[in-house]
Amino acid sequence: MTTFIVRRLLQLPIVLMAISLLIFGMMQFLSPTQRAAAFVKSEQQAQHLDLVIRQYNLDKGFFVQYGTWLKEVFKGNLGYSKTSHEPVLTTIRKRLPISAELALANFLPIMAFGIWMGTIAAIHRDRWIDQFVRVFAVVGWSLPTFVLGIWLLAVLYGHFKLFGIDRAPADILVAFARGDLKAYTGFITLDGLLNGRPDVTLAGLKHLFMPVLTMTVVASAQIMRVLRSSMLDVLNSDYVRTARAKGLPERVVNLKHARRNAIIPVVTLGGLMFAGLLNGIFFAEVIFNFAGLGQWSVASAVQLDFPAVIGMALLTGVIVSIANLVVDILYGIVDPRISFQ
Amino acid sequence: MSSPDYDAPKRERWYESKRFRRFRRNPLAVAGVLILLFFAGMALLAPALTADRLPRGCMRDLGLGRSEARTALRNPAHPAFWRATFAPPGSCYKIPRVSYSPVPKPPSKKYPLGIASGGYDIYYGIVWGARTSFYIGVLVVGIVLVIATVVGGLAGLFGGWLDNLLMRLVDVVYSIPGLVLAMVFASIFGRGLIKTMIAIALVAWPIYARMLRGNILQVKAQDYISAAHAVGVGNLRLFFKHILPNAIGPMIILASLDIGAIVITASTLAFLGLGADVGYADWGQMISFARSWISNPGGEPLKYWFVWFWPSMAIALFVLGWNLLGDAVRDALDPRS
Repeated sequence: MTTFIVRRLLQLPIVLMAISLLIFGMMQFLSPTQRAAAFVKSEQQAQHLDLVIRQYNLDKGFFVQYGTWLKEVFKGNLGYSKTSHEPVLTTIRKRLPISAELALANFLPIMAFGIWMGTIAAIHRDRWIDQFVRVFAVVGWSLPTFVLGIWLLAVLYGHFKLFGIDRAPADILVAFARGDLKAYTGFITLDGLLNGRPDVTLAGLKHLFMPVLTMTVVASAQIMRVLRSSMLDVLNSDYVRTARAKGLPERVVNLKHARRNAIIPVVTLGGLMFAGLLNGIFFAEVIFNFAGLGQWSVASAVQLDFPAVIGMALLTGVIVSIANLVVDILYGIVDPRISFQ
Repeated sequence: MSSPDYDAPKRERWYESKRFRRFRRNPLAVAGVLILLFFAGMALLAPALTADRLPRGCMRDLGLGRSEARTALRNPAHPAFWRATFAPPGSCYKIPRVSYSPVPKPPSKKYPLGIASGGYDIYYGIVWGARTSFYIGVLVVGIVLVIATVVGGLAGLFGGWLDNLLMRLVDVVYSIPGLVLAMVFASIFGRGLIKTMIAIALVAWPIYARMLRGNILQVKAQDYISAAHAVGVGNLRLFFKHILPNAIGPMIILASLDIGAIVITASTLAFLGLGADVGYADWGQMISFARSWISNPGGEPLKYWFVWFWPSMAIALFVLGWNLLGDAVRDALDPRS
């Protein structure tokens, strides 16, 4: 197991290298002046792009350029974002907790709801609850995140004045900005507790509700479908029949014998879903006005702010690669039959 | 009771096959087909449905006056009907502007679905947007199939280091979330419908390349391939006549059914402002017209429901149709279910 993890960890830099080569290759479609923007650290430097081009070998061959770029990336220089008027890395550092809070708040409900509904559907095959889950899954799967987000925004927030947009009410955000409330973690819900202000936590949770609801409906559909079909396979297997025959209670058979074996495809999907989750969070942020990474990178894509977009692509590539590693390790925990040799 | 062809097996028509019967009896599949037929009809008849409200540029390019257009585009005997239906000039995809007012206007007799912010006729946008959606879906699937066939074909045919290299490329593209990568491409290529479509295709191909490679490896292991090889069939001929035709089927079917997902990506990019030019009949863009009227601060939030309701319904139903159809086809093809 340890050797497996170490080997996978050693592979990680190679994957990242490949991602960076791919992204840098795409940058070659741009002119040297446009590419220079990826190295500039401030507005002043942007005035002298020809100097930047010479300094970073942007008029030389591909591999020289790539080497120079990689060196800068290692030094932590991802360029300057004209959207946020800051270096890309600073913006990423500032906005990462906001997106991370949203992602973590989403992951659990999506998995739990998907697994729960998938189990129920498989156990009650072809009954009305199963039909309902199947229709719900295909409808949820067909809704673009932003469409459902807009519906919820218009009806729940616009009409019924429930929940709220942005991460928290304006006065709380101002208190954080002024330093009245200390941002220990950058997560509003946690910082509320750490500051001894449960009302802040409550407000944060309330504001998380709509994005989480949106993403749960859209993203849990896939899990329901996969779990339902693998659960049906398992429920027809011999060892489940044996478990029934020896008189185990139905609940134990379904949850201990059947579901634990049916969940493996869901773990695979959980890794893939993580990439999808990042996608969805981008649009949840845009629609519900969270000042996270998604909102920023969408704005920078529209403004053709390459350094920001490329920095985001690198970052998401890193996150997804790590998530895949975690999924591979989880396999061993969920299914001890899988060995890592 | 001995007719001469008594023993000859009756050739099964496709509509008599077990697969098709299984498909037909599935109510969700029938619903999907009906939804798609509705949109296909709307897309095909778009010129006739909007004959009374075509934008000026479109009428000029068709060589018709306003009153002439009204009759000619609804009369199949008129050559302009066929031209507008099958090869409409690009100017017809521009949504006509009734006014330049930023305030949406509720549905009226003349504008049955209302007028969006900026004076855009919503009915026109929905009808022609159906055409745009089919167009995007079919074209992107086409590009995806070409890329996937080249990459998957090379990997499956040659194996070895090339296979390894191409499959690692697949892994890398796969490890960046699709929309982020599409955004990278879209911001590098710039705005425009064709460029967005290329961006989406460049993101969507890996899964099909991998699928084709797998199928090719399966087919290569079959006896008839060894037989063909043994009688001295050349490599190229072996690949194009024996391997590819037997391996490519599932990929084509599954990729075509993916039009729903492609339309989701395309409309999302359009919603963000990375799609077609402003004013092009595109559902995603029409929702972005609605953005400032959704959680309206003016006290009557649902007053302007029509600006976001119709285009979002159109997208949701269109994608639903494809997904219902896709599910049913997958179920019908999968021998285990």
